[in-house]
Amino acid sequence: MSSSTRQKVLRHLDICKQIQPALHQETHAPSPDMMDNEHIRAYQRSPHDIGGEPDIPITWEEKEEEVWEHNTFVTCEVLAWRGVWNAEERRRRQNVEIGETMYLGLPYYGRWLMTAAKILVDKQYVTLTELQEKMDEIRKRYE
Amino acid sequence: MSKPHYDREHHAKMATGVGDPQCFAGKAPDPKFKVGDKVRVRDLPDLFYTRTQAYTRGCEAVVAELVYESPPAEDESWDNTENVEWFYSLIFKATDLWPDYHDTFSKDSIETEIPEHYLEAV
Repeated sequence: MSSSTRQKVLRHLDICKQIQPALHQETHAPSPDMMDNEHIRAYQRSPHDIGGEPDIPITWEEKEEEVWEHNTFVTCEVLAWRGVWNAEERRRRQNVEIGETMYLGLPYYGRWLMTAAKILVDKQYVTLTELQEKMDEIRKRYE
Repeated sequence: MSKPHYDREHHAKMATGVGDPQCFAGKAPDPKFKVGDKVRVRDLPDLFYTRTQAYTRGCEAVVAELVYESPPAEDESWDNTENVEWFYSLIFKATDLWPDYHDTFSKDSIETEIPEHYLEAV
């Protein structure tokens, strides 16, 4: 089995790279007969599983953590402590369910913060209306 | 429609003062593999969530260590913690993973952790 599975897997990694979201215009919502099994698998894969996809090298840069990043980390840990999620649910939400565009586009702790807000809405601790009104109230303080 | 009421703190209560995955120690069935065994990674569907890297699927590896017991990520991320299994640290040859890996580095290897249900004996 191994060689055909390996061929499939390696081709899968190539296709995943091709469907990375791009800023240029793309074909959206293809008709069903334009889909094949390889592409359906590529769309199903978790956006964080990028190992092996062809890419160019990126520069490694050390960065001091900022106050909002520490606050975000603490918030997420407290949510775990109070049983709102466990670490694996947090990872699933911030690495996968956040979607490929935000996974690649947001800073690391930006994804944590977005996910902390989402879990509170998903598990009905706050309503989306309450959250939106609060964000609007705070935004006005800086106008 | 009423709001569901879960015991939201059951995981926190289990792990407080013990740690995770230490809180699952002793809860897995006997391990199917031992150090030195040759295994192959199953190509399970990628649906919704996994932490078993796609690039390892269908590849053979050698068991380096039995690292800890835990529910697999696919279960734990929805707070399903009943089915605990062994996690194995596996060594893959880089040349097995990457077809065009250069001969100069043919001794390179990659070690990574994968849960038992992803593995089959070779």
